[in-house]
Amino acid sequence: MSDRSRRLSVLALLLSALPPVRLSAQGDVDRLAVRFASMTAVTGLEQAMADSLRVMLPGSVRDRAGNVTLTLGQGSPKRLCTCPLDEVGYVVGNILPEGFLLLRRVGGGGAGRTVSPLLDQQLEGHRVTVFGTRGAVAGVVAVKSTHLTRGRVGPAGGAPDPVFTVDNAYVDVGATSTAEVQGLGIAVLAPVSLAKRPHLYGERLLAAPSAGRRAACAALAAAVQSKPNVKGTVVVAFTVQSLYASDAGLASVKALLGPFDDIKTAVLPARYADTAVETVALGDADRLVREIAQWMEGR
Amino acid sequence: MKTVTGCVLALLLLSAGPPVRLSAQDSTRISEAQAVLAPLVESYGVSGTEGPVRETVKRLLPAWATPSTDTAGNLWVRVGQGNPVVVFVAHLDEIGFRVTGTRDDGTLELETRGGFILSLFEAQPALVHTDKGIVAGVFLPRDSGFTRHTPPPFRVSVGTASRAATLARGVGPGATVTMPKQYVRLAGTRATGRSFDDRVGSTAQLLALRHLDRAALKHQVIFIWSAREEIGLEGAAAAAASLGTTPRRVHAIDTFVSADSPLELPNFAVAPIGQGAVARALDNSSITPPAYVDSLVQVARAHGVALQIGSTNGGNDGSKFTPYGVVDVAIGWPLRYSHSPAEVIDLKDVVSLADIIRAVAETW
Repeated sequence: MSDRSRRLSVLALLLSALPPVRLSAQGDVDRLAVRFASMTAVTGLEQAMADSLRVMLPGSVRDRAGNVTLTLGQGSPKRLCTCPLDEVGYVVGNILPEGFLLLRRVGGGGAGRTVSPLLDQQLEGHRVTVFGTRGAVAGVVAVKSTHLTRGRVGPAGGAPDPVFTVDNAYVDVGATSTAEVQGLGIAVLAPVSLAKRPHLYGERLLAAPSAGRRAACAALAAAVQSKPNVKGTVVVAFTVQSLYASDAGLASVKALLGPFDDIKTAVLPARYADTAVETVALGDADRLVREIAQWMEGR
Repeated sequence: MKTVTGCVLALLLLSAGPPVRLSAQDSTRISEAQAVLAPLVESYGVSGTEGPVRETVKRLLPAWATPSTDTAGNLWVRVGQGNPVVVFVAHLDEIGFRVTGTRDDGTLELETRGGFILSLFEAQPALVHTDKGIVAGVFLPRDSGFTRHTPPPFRVSVGTASRAATLARGVGPGATVTMPKQYVRLAGTRATGRSFDDRVGSTAQLLALRHLDRAALKHQVIFIWSAREEIGLEGAAAAAASLGTTPRRVHAIDTFVSADSPLELPNFAVAPIGQGAVARALDNSSITPPAYVDSLVQVARAHGVALQIGSTNGGNDGSKFTPYGVVDVAIGWPLRYSHSPAEVIDLKDVVSLADIIRAVAETW
């Protein structure tokens, strides 16, 4: 096992340490949606969430691309129900001698999709989690102190403040040297995300980064766990790398397990997309669970 | 109320970040500082509504202390007798928002309480603090992200679609708004959270009181936890007026906003975190007479307390006492990323600050 593989395996174990969720009653989609929204699956680095899904869905396997698939029923028609589980995120790009980390964004530019400028800007002055080989490490992204900006001349000509970009993101984990950072299990390519703190408000509204995608995946998982009477064969696939260059995860499922007579993608509408409070109505997730189950049953 | 309670419980239960932990290497002093600081940081108290923080301070006072609250909302503890009277003052309040109105679509209009970079609250979870409890919501994002630090006026949604529905949740003008916060340990003895300014000062005063040798006091010492500092030092102004010319010195115990960051200019305010308390000798509200700075340094040296000296920006509560002839010898602790949701401190500085407060109270 290579050093990198070992690191990723340890990471997967650490991040899948939450107890498995068993669905038994209405409302469980809420718990699943919150749990999924608290997970991090930076595109291309989804192993931890994939491992959690495998624990949650007995019989599921991880294919060579990293997708989690589960085959239900047999015979024809052969259909695919899929949900992308990845998110736009960051990896450690460099470690400075003073112990600060610099970041590189991963994802967001593929398949004709661009991310909102607010996505990177939301890092500024907020807590992040760095997923090191020794566990999750809390950090913050540096921001200028309000007090020290007072009385100082702003940008020339009254221009608006320069836009914060990921290139301005100095991650402070409390370390004072490169060695101390490494001692925390952090190396270049460690995944980094905003600290995930799912937030419930109003009447069953869930706010979190990537809440729409995560609630849709929760609905797909809930539909599977409702044990529908599947017509023919249904391959359930939680796919990886949907937000990178070529949607390689879904393409792999099609190439390895297809062809399929029909494909359904679990999708939910979300408000405030690409922000830390992307909001999804869990009532919509209930409806999606029923819709997917009916589709699996051929109704 | 059921929904509100559910949301608050969910907030507590669903925080997915790394758990607060005590490092195995923590000394007893660091552990004690954290045990006092964490509950203070996780109490909410936007300027003018400091009640929850004041109650937490009272709960953490030593059993012998007899606190009283004045009409301005300041909390007082008096120790010892005789002149010259010396005052320590740290503030209870934190920056945030207040609801000014409710729109037809149910969203809340806000005004700021204190100064900060507004965009740091944009598109973040929100907590509306009402008389009946906390109502969860979100700070709405703007449509475009290209002028980062100058967003349009903020609004908060509590998930309702009409004014009537919002009012039915008990939310209306006058309620204060914050975002959820959590005390979290970083590497070594460092920690992050929001409102370290000035919960660290409040903590240091509590720690000093806990360890104070009351028999050693040669004069009366008054500890004040003040209200409404962030909106103009209002609580301190009331306290100063009530004491008049009686005190000899006042020690504002407040943040030393540090330039110890890759984003700051190194022209001034360069007090590294982790290297001790700071004599806040010059800020935007007061200048400590050099002889008093020298005396403070002597006290620190005599007691082996780490003390830095510097100048920074911001005002301090002690400046409201100076018109009465009271000398303001402000003492701070270095803070990175002031007034942001991600302030960073070193717990060693909290211990150092508590030690210098105790030494000053007992010997100067």
